[in-house]
Amino acid sequence: MNYTTAQSGDTIKVDLVGRFTFGDHSSFRKLIEEIRGQSAETQILDLSGVEFIDSAGLGMLLLARDEGEKIRATVILKGAQGQVKRMLEVARFDTLFKLED
Amino acid sequence: MSPAGETFPRPRVAIAEPVNHDRVSAILAGKQIFDDGAGAEADLSFGRSPEDFQHGNRYQLCLIPQESSREWLGALVRLNCNYFIESFDQIDLRDLGPIRTAQRGAKWDLLVCMSTQSAYQLPMARKFVTALRHRGIIHDTIAPTVEMAVQEAFANSLVHGNLELDTTGHLTMDRFNALGEETARRLEAPAYGGRVIMLTAKKRRNGNVEISINDQGNGFTPPPEKPAPKLPGSESTFGRGLPLIRSLCQNVSFERGGRTIKLTFTPDTKASMPLNSNFAAGVEEAEKAIGESDLRNPRDATILIADDAMISREIIASYLRSDGFTNLVFAKDGEDALEQVRKHNPDLIILDIIMPKMDGYAVCKALRADPAYAETPIIAQTALEENEGRTRIFEDGATDLILKPLNKAELIARTRIHLENRLLVKQLQAYQERTQSELELARDMQEMLIPKPEQYRGIGLDYGMTISASFQMSSELGGDMWGLAPIDKDRLGVYIVDFAGHGLGAALNTFRLHSLIWSEEDRGEDPGTYLEALNRHLKGLLPVGQYATMLYGVIDRAKETFRYASAACTSPVLGNIKTGSTVFLDGSGVPLGVIRDAQYETRELTFTTDNFLLLYSDALIETVLDDGVFLEDDRLLKMVHNIVTETNGSTDLASNLADQFMDRAPVKLHDDFTVVSLQSADISGPKAS
Repeated sequence: MNYTTAQSGDTIKVDLVGRFTFGDHSSFRKLIEEIRGQSAETQILDLSGVEFIDSAGLGMLLLARDEGEKIRATVILKGAQGQVKRMLEVARFDTLFKLED
Repeated sequence: MSPAGETFPRPRVAIAEPVNHDRVSAILAGKQIFDDGAGAEADLSFGRSPEDFQHGNRYQLCLIPQESSREWLGALVRLNCNYFIESFDQIDLRDLGPIRTAQRGAKWDLLVCMSTQSAYQLPMARKFVTALRHRGIIHDTIAPTVEMAVQEAFANSLVHGNLELDTTGHLTMDRFNALGEETARRLEAPAYGGRVIMLTAKKRRNGNVEISINDQGNGFTPPPEKPAPKLPGSESTFGRGLPLIRSLCQNVSFERGGRTIKLTFTPDTKASMPLNSNFAAGVEEAEKAIGESDLRNPRDATILIADDAMISREIIASYLRSDGFTNLVFAKDGEDALEQVRKHNPDLIILDIIMPKMDGYAVCKALRADPAYAETPIIAQTALEENEGRTRIFEDGATDLILKPLNKAELIARTRIHLENRLLVKQLQAYQERTQSELELARDMQEMLIPKPEQYRGIGLDYGMTISASFQMSSELGGDMWGLAPIDKDRLGVYIVDFAGHGLGAALNTFRLHSLIWSEEDRGEDPGTYLEALNRHLKGLLPVGQYATMLYGVIDRAKETFRYASAACTSPVLGNIKTGSTVFLDGSGVPLGVIRDAQYETRELTFTTDNFLLLYSDALIETVLDDGVFLEDDRLLKMVHNIVTETNGSTDLASNLADQFMDRAPVKLHDDFTVVSLQSADISGPKAS
């Protein structure tokens, strides 16, 4: 998994690309540290570039949500498609995150 | 030695370079892979990429190197081999070996075995599933489901099994980070990272596919099956893999004390399995060759007469003999009929309906259910005059019906007509087979127009460049072609061509153009002028309505330029290895063979040692991928960018791109697929400018 971040106003947008699986420990850790350093009220994780996610990847998204809550930021999952969308539905992430198309 | 004095051919082993010779011979000599030590006498072939091994050859085993396993995962799809094992020092299969016994031969349709350390970094589940798709073991439609299940099981076996990490309970960021560090430590430690993980797949006779994931950890007691918690609250989803797996496949079971998880998938009954002639899907079910008699003359036909009454058999036989049919065999009841059919494979069967043991209806049904006898003409003889019996025997598969008592002229007429039909069908089949083999010959010839890996690598080296390519034909013959044309010590020409359509016509045109390219003297000075000359020649040769797209360009290492001209070719990608930036170049221009005096502009740009160039045919951007979208525009640039940044600009860009494309593309492509990449070789010596 690779990512790029962009901030505008009080919104930070993170574009994630590639496969997001159990082996993505270090890149995810870097990502969290990066968004933690910025004070944004809204954190948009754009998943449109993610082609595959496993349950460990879902676990990492939950971690991002916990971290967001600590600084009172809203975490939005955006643009999930295909398998990723299916996984979010199976895990009922709609009850935990704000999901956007 | 194998039992019963049977001799087995020496196993053929493909060995990926770079090779550690001591390690490879130690692995082959041991009995963990071949239980009879046959590995020590194996017939070894060496290659730097899957393309280096002959397509026609079948290998029993491929040993992939520890250092570059990533590139070699592509071999799962491309190499005609069932077993892939990473060769690394501490490899110890323990109870997972031997994987190939002299008695049983290959046990699985696909097996991949790697160290935990390598497997952790690689998209192994994905490659495994892609390979199963391409081998026709699972259908495209169920592949996403299989991949999700395999990924979860694989992650569990690796993380909980081999690495013995505990991920249960609430996961905080601190714990996550600590877990990450512990993971890295254990991957480095031979006691954990050197453990083996093995994925196997086997297609059963009933069509079910069994996939097993085997680890060498402590094992575990599987929790009782219960529905997944409805809401994913604060519990970590790391431990939620098992309910997910259970929801994705037909059956989950555990063996080896929880070190093996076995998943069963039933095929999608709506879709039929595509057959890929390159790979034998069911190894045990090797096709039995049916000794077809050469049926040139209907009088030479073998005819089976099945009737319980001896007198009836004799009457029929005498009628047939009188007309010159002498190759007669007999059966006295239904079971005997089936046995005689298997023994003699008759060209025609004359079948009585009322017989002991098994009646004519059942015989018909049994024969039609076997593909080998699905087409054999069956004439049913019956005294039944009522319509019901007639309808039923036709429904059960009889070709024709003849009423008892038999009329000699009618019997002979019907026998003749069905034999002649059979003869025609057989001739048609033979014709198709011959055409098929001619197409295959033409295909081989066409593949010779494409540079071989050792050729393009060698030419690349001459210019201090790494050249990588992937080429795949859609049907038997294609319209794609690419090549390299060295000009002088600094300048290298490169071309890529795509003729409209594919099949025989397109292939003939590629031969035409290939000979033109190699007969044209002056390729060096100006790409635009060169395409103009080529177009004039080609216009004279090509029938109206046929055309080609082409790009011809010259890389000048001394001037650090790339000059090219394009005839409606796909837009090449120019990128920077260090920054990962990518842009499309202008590919516009009139296709070749359309108008006689077409003009082609020569475009020039800077091409330094930091740059790479990617050429491709339109199959790359016009194939609908698994998410229903084409890989075009920004998506292609993004994918290239990701490969470059993930691999730190290391070699084999085209192969990497092709691998990712194959992961997501349907097995059958509608068009030829070509990708070529050129970049500076990864040598740190100063390059003269």
